[in-house]
Amino acid sequence: MSIPQARLRNFSIIAHIDHGKSTLADRLLEATHAIDPRQMTSQVLDSMDLEREKGITIKARAVRLEYTANDGLVYGLNLIDTPGHVDFSYEVSRSLQACEGAILVVDAAQGIEAQTLANVHLALREGLTIVPVLNKIDLPSAQPDVVMEELESVLAIPREEVILASAKEGIGISEILEAIVARIPAPKGDPSLPLQALVFDSHYDQYKGVIVYVRLAQGTLRDHDRVRLMQSGAEADLLELGFFRPALVPVAEIHAGDVGYVATGLKNVREAQVGDTITSAVSPASEPLPGYQEAKSLVFAGIYPLSGEDYPLLRDAIEKLHLNDASFTYEPESSVALGFGFRCGFLGLLHMEIVQERLEREFNLDLIASAPSVEYQVVMTHGRGSITIDNPAHLPTISEIEAILEPWVLLSVVTPSTYIGPLMELSTNRRGSFIGLEYIDPVRVLMKFELPLAELIVDYFDQLKTRTAGYASMDYEEIGYRAANLVKLDVMVAGEPVDALSMIVHRDKSVAIGRTLAERLKQLIPRQMFEVPIQAAIGSNVIARESVRAMRKNVVAKCYGGDITRKRKLLEKQKEGKRRMKRVGSVEIPQEAFLAMLRTDEN
Amino acid sequence: MRLAAGTLPAIDRARNGTGPAAQSGPAADPTAPGPAADPTAPGPAAHAGPPAHAGPAAQSGPPAHAGPPAQSGPPAHAGPPADPTARGSASEPSLLPAVRPPEALYIHVPFCVSLCPYCDFVVVAGAATRGPRNRVTAFLAALRRELDLRADLADARWGTPGSLSRPPLGSLYFGGGTPSLLPGDEIAGIVEIVRLRFGLASGAEVTVESNPGPDERGDARALADAGVTRISFGAQALDDDTLRSLGRRHRARDVREAITDAREAGIASVSLDLLYDTPGGTLQAWVGTLDSALSLAPDHLSLYALTLDDPDAEGLTGPTGDHLPVARGARRWRADARARQDDDRAAAMYEHAVHRLAEAGFHGYEISNWALPGHESRHNLAYWERRPYEAVGPGAHAFDGAARRWNAARLDSYIAALTSPPGVSAQLPPGGTEAINPEASAAERIILGLRTSHGVSLSESTRQPLSDHFSWARDADLLSVTADDRIVLTTKGRLLSNELFSRLV
Ligand SMILES: Nc1nc2c(ncn2[C@@H]2O[C@H](COP(=O)(O)OP(=O)(O)O)[C@@H](O)[C@H]2O)c(=O)[nH]1
Repeated sequence: MSIPQARLRNFSIIAHIDHGKSTLADRLLEATHAIDPRQMTSQVLDSMDLEREKGITIKARAVRLEYTANDGLVYGLNLIDTPGHVDFSYEVSRSLQACEGAILVVDAAQGIEAQTLANVHLALREGLTIVPVLNKIDLPSAQPDVVMEELESVLAIPREEVILASAKEGIGISEILEAIVARIPAPKGDPSLPLQALVFDSHYDQYKGVIVYVRLAQGTLRDHDRVRLMQSGAEADLLELGFFRPALVPVAEIHAGDVGYVATGLKNVREAQVGDTITSAVSPASEPLPGYQEAKSLVFAGIYPLSGEDYPLLRDAIEKLHLNDASFTYEPESSVALGFGFRCGFLGLLHMEIVQERLEREFNLDLIASAPSVEYQVVMTHGRGSITIDNPAHLPTISEIEAILEPWVLLSVVTPSTYIGPLMELSTNRRGSFIGLEYIDPVRVLMKFELPLAELIVDYFDQLKTRTAGYASMDYEEIGYRAANLVKLDVMVAGEPVDALSMIVHRDKSVAIGRTLAERLKQLIPRQMFEVPIQAAIGSNVIARESVRAMRKNVVAKCYGGDITRKRKLLEKQKEGKRRMKRVGSVEIPQEAFLAMLRTDEN
Repeated sequence: MRLAAGTLPAIDRARNGTGPAAQSGPAADPTAPGPAADPTAPGPAAHAGPPAHAGPAAQSGPPAHAGPPAQSGPPAHAGPPADPTARGSASEPSLLPAVRPPEALYIHVPFCVSLCPYCDFVVVAGAATRGPRNRVTAFLAALRRELDLRADLADARWGTPGSLSRPPLGSLYFGGGTPSLLPGDEIAGIVEIVRLRFGLASGAEVTVESNPGPDERGDARALADAGVTRISFGAQALDDDTLRSLGRRHRARDVREAITDAREAGIASVSLDLLYDTPGGTLQAWVGTLDSALSLAPDHLSLYALTLDDPDAEGLTGPTGDHLPVARGARRWRADARARQDDDRAAAMYEHAVHRLAEAGFHGYEISNWALPGHESRHNLAYWERRPYEAVGPGAHAFDGAARRWNAARLDSYIAALTSPPGVSAQLPPGGTEAINPEASAAERIILGLRTSHGVSLSESTRQPLSDHFSWARDADLLSVTADDRIVLTTKGRLLSNELFSRLV
């Protein structure tokens, strides 16, 4: 059914993690009969297994709801989902660009958190209309008055606009739907002008090829049209277009202002990239839409197949996954220790973990990731300009380096005021500087710090949670590069340098970090059949030594009638454990060892 | 897997009209024997007496490899003569999985006076073992029933004991639990059933596991009268502090008395089990333990590194699993004990045992087992040589050459299945089977072979699965090759055997 532009609404739900975004989305789907409640697996939008497991939304998704409003008319509501983790604010802003409004969900018992603030700022930057919702009012601990006060004083949201709701109990759902219709403006755009459709997301479908999510700025998409992607220049006949409801429902036309999917049959990653503009091949628009700023990778790591012969499989897998997640970058690299693989850039550590896990699960690969790093700028001596490195192993020799600059972030932390002291201390330990503090209610404060990104990716979030009994929340944004006295820490295992374990660290902390790293590696590298010395060094100066003693015993004591099958299974498990390790020289090193410095056990 | 009909031995008893189908699943109705098989009733003459098997056939069995070459003990007949077509060759066990008749029988007796916190075997204790509500009588009835049902199946499959394709058993083993708790006449009765229904070769090994405590070890003379030839005492330690810390009921001096009793009763072979790497143990104390053990003059020693597993985590304790869930107290004990174990100390203890026992004339014929010449456990050799064995009792495991079968661990369901109201045929107890595919079979053969001092043939070094790892293991000093072209584990190789074995599975 075709719905006139005036009755379209494009919106997202923004919320701090766990405030109820997914639950509310489910309720909206149910209330508009997008899905049969009996068939509903909980949290339909989180369609990847991994998303369900981690309880977060990783990928933006768009769902079309059809809602008959109190005025008796049918409205087309396009709900564009956004990720809920700090690492993914880039994807949030991309989704918000396809909307005219956003539902802001705030937990009535928790109040404003760091991501609430960050997301509202993103939405306001896009000029969106905000529909504020206080969720979980069913909870006995809900404090709607306090939280409305916060919204008013911190975000200038008038309390009259706030809708009280419980996504769990289904309270306030019809008010929210009416507010979407009444408050969020309809999209604009002339359906009769030449087609301009912005690709805001994509995924790869085994049968239909690349499926792109589009928002039409102007013009009309018709089934079987021949279209052109304006940046890649690729042309294709449309195989299918339609809406996600949330199953794919084909339609004949999509008009300006609307959001839908297009199956192009294109197989190549580069031909239908996020940010590209689809136009008609017959009467093309004169220019493409502005598109997106490239996702900025903040964390880099090498990803390698456990066995070298899987390299071609890894290459294919990365290319395919990149279709579904354009926000990571990759390029081939080789490591002395790990062989051939890819240097990948991620939005954050969680993103890195997710990409590695998806590659392993969806493509059935056994992978190993090197120690993660941020990107450094290295100013060379003798006026030879500066270079950018994202792999510590590539740091030039000291004599060639004039200066090293590292990325910094502005960190916002919302915390009960009792934890101000511990958080000050944490940030100072991490070379951070305190910028300011403001009370958002009588007991909670918003603290700001500047901090090197490298210090943030090393278990900062875990530490924050530990020191505040889980009460603090955080968000961060980049604020550019600053010079620091940095050096490269190298690691030798059994006498061989393992480049994938190298790190760039601050000189003042290098000895302490070297010792901790060597100690942790000693714990993480299992005993082998020979002694394994571990050394940490800066240049030729060994600053820490440990050794993994030789294994003396690995034997099944009893092996009688009933034990044979059981012990064979035990041996199979040991074999599987070995297979999950990377052989570097003669030593088998498990994945955890490469992530040794990310583990939380700060004294 | 199934034999062609033509190769099936003639079935000579009307009551065994059952097909071989039940072989693979415990669920199969074993087609109740018609006229209640009274095991004590004289059977057909053919198998009433011990078949004269020790004749020429004995020479065709494997050479007496388990002991030192100048073996002086009983003939190494661990494999009684079997259908020659079922064996790969005379010196190596079968290469291809093929179903063969059992050569040994394991009987699991799940009763103990009290539970030891480290023990993983299927055991019930306390009121189930002693007192007015004990389950022993019900268990024994069920056990006899199972023996009968399994014998019926074997008869149908291979012919009655004594027929050419059905050699008598070379070994019978009562394990537990504490089978020595059973009255001597009950053991005698069971041995008799086994002799009747499975056949017992003359000179067969009949072992009973025993605890040394005065109220647990039973009457050695009665056991000897019942036909028991070997007693394996669960000594575990030889000082009272360690015994107490392990939750054992007996004292060190009970071990000496138990052995004296057994000797006086004429038991031909006496074995002791000892544990090392126990919490709080030291190398020095272990040196003393071994010296004391040797002063007791056993014929056989099994030395086990204390192994604290978690059968729940391994998924073995479900309704058809072969293990019982670990009690909470035992779980805590294990966690604490595990933290007080030490691989380096364990390795030193093992290395000491290797030297000390060799000095005393014992032969380390398997990773954890040492014997004076001729006293190797034939029953256990059957496991390691992958000879087929039958098994009865809760949690017991059988192997027929191609598949492993087990009974579920739970005593109640075991008894319930086998105890039928009048007019209803008894069922085999719940359990499961696992077919061993050719790869697993090949790996098992190498692994079990290497566990013994006999090792495997040098020709295996060029064959899968060993070929890929042979030179690595040799370079790492895990394997050596003997003068008579056998591949064997070195002492280091024994201690690190899983490093090699996990590459072979
Ligand atoms: N009591 C209550 N719990 C809710 C409500 N809405 C969501 N929740 C619970 O809050 C948790 C987080 O919800 P979810 O929708 O996954 O949050 P998201 O991370 O923002 O997507 C889940 O356990 C929900 O069941 C509500 O209105 N009331």
